[in-house]
Amino acid sequence: MSEPAVEVKNLTKVFSTGLSKNYVVAVDNLSFEVAAGEVYGLIGPNGSGKSTTMKVVLGLMAASSGSAKVFGLDSGDIRARNEIGFLPENPYFYKHLSGEETLKFYGKLCGIKGSELKDRIADLLKLVDLENAANRRLGGYSKGMLQRIGLAQTLIQNPRLVILDEPTAGVDPVGSRQIRDLILKLKEDGYTVFLCSHLLEQVQEVCDRVGIIFKGRMRREGTLDELIQIDSQTAMTLENASPELMSKIHDLIASDEAAGIIEEGHPRTTLERLFIQIADQNKKEESA
Amino acid sequence: MSDSKTTLQSPARSVPLFSISRVWTLAISTLTQLIRMKTFYFLFAFAVLLLVIGNFNFASSPAQALSTIKKVSFGAMDLFAWLFAIVATALLIPRDIEDRTLYTILSKPVRRIEYLLGKLGGVLIVIGISLSVMFLVCAGMIQWQEMGYIADEVSASPNGISDETRQAILLIEKNGFHSDLAVAALASFMKAAVVASVTILLSTFASSSLFTIIVSVLVFLVGHAHTMATNFWLAETDNNMVVQMLLKLFKIIIPNFQIFSFSEGIVQGAALVPALIWQMTGLTGAYLVVFLLLSLLTFVDKEF
Amino acid sequence: MKALFQKSPRWLLVLVGLAIFGIVRAPFEEHTRKKLVDSHLLLPPPAQDAIQQMSQSALMGTLGGLRTLVSSYLVLEAFEHFSNKEWEELRSAYAIVTSLEPRDENHWRDVVWHLGINATANMQLDETIPEFERKRRFNEYALLAVELAEQGIAQNPDSAVIRQQLAEVYREKLKDDCATARVYQDLVGLPEAPQYAERFAGYFLAKCPGHEQEAYDHLLRLYYEGEHNHVASLIITIKDLEKQLEIPRSLRITEPYPDLPGLTQP
Repeated sequence: MSEPAVEVKNLTKVFSTGLSKNYVVAVDNLSFEVAAGEVYGLIGPNGSGKSTTMKVVLGLMAASSGSAKVFGLDSGDIRARNEIGFLPENPYFYKHLSGEETLKFYGKLCGIKGSELKDRIADLLKLVDLENAANRRLGGYSKGMLQRIGLAQTLIQNPRLVILDEPTAGVDPVGSRQIRDLILKLKEDGYTVFLCSHLLEQVQEVCDRVGIIFKGRMRREGTLDELIQIDSQTAMTLENASPELMSKIHDLIASDEAAGIIEEGHPRTTLERLFIQIADQNKKEESA
Repeated sequence: MSDSKTTLQSPARSVPLFSISRVWTLAISTLTQLIRMKTFYFLFAFAVLLLVIGNFNFASSPAQALSTIKKVSFGAMDLFAWLFAIVATALLIPRDIEDRTLYTILSKPVRRIEYLLGKLGGVLIVIGISLSVMFLVCAGMIQWQEMGYIADEVSASPNGISDETRQAILLIEKNGFHSDLAVAALASFMKAAVVASVTILLSTFASSSLFTIIVSVLVFLVGHAHTMATNFWLAETDNNMVVQMLLKLFKIIIPNFQIFSFSEGIVQGAALVPALIWQMTGLTGAYLVVFLLLSLLTFVDKEF
Repeated sequence: MKALFQKSPRWLLVLVGLAIFGIVRAPFEEHTRKKLVDSHLLLPPPAQDAIQQMSQSALMGTLGGLRTLVSSYLVLEAFEHFSNKEWEELRSAYAIVTSLEPRDENHWRDVVWHLGINATANMQLDETIPEFERKRRFNEYALLAVELAEQGIAQNPDSAVIRQQLAEVYREKLKDDCATARVYQDLVGLPEAPQYAERFAGYFLAKCPGHEQEAYDHLLRLYYEGEHNHVASLIITIKDLEKQLEIPRSLRITEPYPDLPGLTQP
């Protein structure tokens, strides 16, 4: 089996607050792995520890205990940074630079030069559909454009792992769809994508595996199918079902005392339901 | 994008221990940032100040007028250099943190010392360019005034140049432009460089630009009281032990900015002592290295 | 060691670093500072009485490395006092200016010129002030100018411009020919002394009672030094002294008496 792209083991991150020596546990003994080539989504409410986990993986923060590795390298190791492309939530790049200059800046930081850098910038601008805005300063970019140039920036050194923090936050539906398509393209090209999002529909659309985190702890983790499957329930999606057939089915169900219809209609976002269920459970645990 | 699949199989690329090209990229980006923030506009204000001073009707001699023009213009250059060093340095890092630009930079293979050096380098390049431009403007203005005053003296003696006229011309030349003034500009640069290194250290601790600016200005002002502290306060025998200890601590901790004010002597016509200029250059270098290392001490594992 | 480093608060480590650097650099800086002051590249701290006289903002500026700007501002302010004939204010402004930049001979020269020439002239002309008061103040300003010139010369021993201004005060205001001669004589040999200083010393010595012979010897020596000294005033003064000292005709200079109106009085 190949080396995991991200390997988080018993990660705990504790913050002390102010001079009063109070401690807040942001991440509590968290463990998970992101396999090379998969799209992994970490979901959780605000303050659940998603961003802290990402920052530890990025080497922007040190773990209080436990470890985080990127392709087998400790996340603090600078070589790990060559393997990562990171897009923060609401990225702010230097507004005084144009789109092309921004990519040039980040490319140079990654040690890419000359024609290689030029070609790479041209490819990426095409990929994110910003060729026509390449010479415009970022100060004049819309939120969606900023997010797309941000995505191009993450790919500048051709990293193996792309980390995206709320990639569609504040972006309009059209822009959001463009970004979703780009993530799918990354997946298709074989990149490993690790993303944090609270837009569950989007996560469900693009992720192979999902981890649900609450209060710094991993509550559920698995493939989408595993997570949203309810063993006691059976869903049936019919095509071209006539009213007569539906009536027969209803009669059959009514003849069985134990069985019953819970819901009937078009399929819905079940991940969302699962998320809310876990949130409720978490609330109950807390009050208990 | 076609090569990404092959990249997935490749081993982790190595990162050099220190890359001057990354520092340069960061420095040039900082320079571009400061240029596009229109910081160079102050040069117009400086030119206007020079024009006002140059055309001021001084009551006394041309020599005094030239001396005043020199002092005001070089004093303004010095003031700009240190003030700019503080404000620009204090704004850059906290702004990168607030805007989260720092996240994207540090998530690339950039070492933190390279980031600090790049930022400081960018500020120093801007100060260097500004001081050079201001120096050239000053030199032009002083020489123009000097030539005007000499022409006036010559035209005031239609029967040939008398002893008194020659004397007056000599005095004008003495108070006019001389090439040593370039070293005065260099002295202002040294002072600004040290101030910038102090500010960068403070900005690695501080949570806001305003705090960094205020504390840096205070340190700068207090840093001029070193000799006074020695002469007046430490000499006072009736001061108690605590005061004496605090003053000694102050002298050790706070940089001595007073000795970096040697541009004043050069502007007033003191002869250069090359050995001393080299010593001051060395001292500036030492301040830069030590303060950068201390900044790194805080910045190296700072969490964002 | 690594654990200790990681556990220690960063501010403490930085403080220790600063202290070590401070201890290492202090002797070097003090040594360099003294050398800079000795070579006139660095100005010594202003005198305590000047500090006491300064306004808070001027003091802040002075301490904050803006010494030349503060002094230039005060010079402009002094010019305003001169325009308004506010001599006491002008005097106070220059007291600070000369304390801030004691090695700038222009400041000394200017204050001597303002008080010794302008203030005294104002006292001669200002009829709003009673006669006796004008005389008293005339003397006060002239003598103050002399005192300031001497302070300036003490700070700038090679200054020719301060001595020239002092000579003017003695010559034009105090009408003290002996003192004028002494000051011109002091000028001789200084790096920026005017060429006429030696001749002028002789002219005024000639008017100093009891020093006529000395003046004659001095001027005759200059006369025989070369053609460049054969200026009208020198010839006239020598000829006057020859008559006054009854020098035998055979020893007198052969140069004819110049017939140039206005040049008989040096």
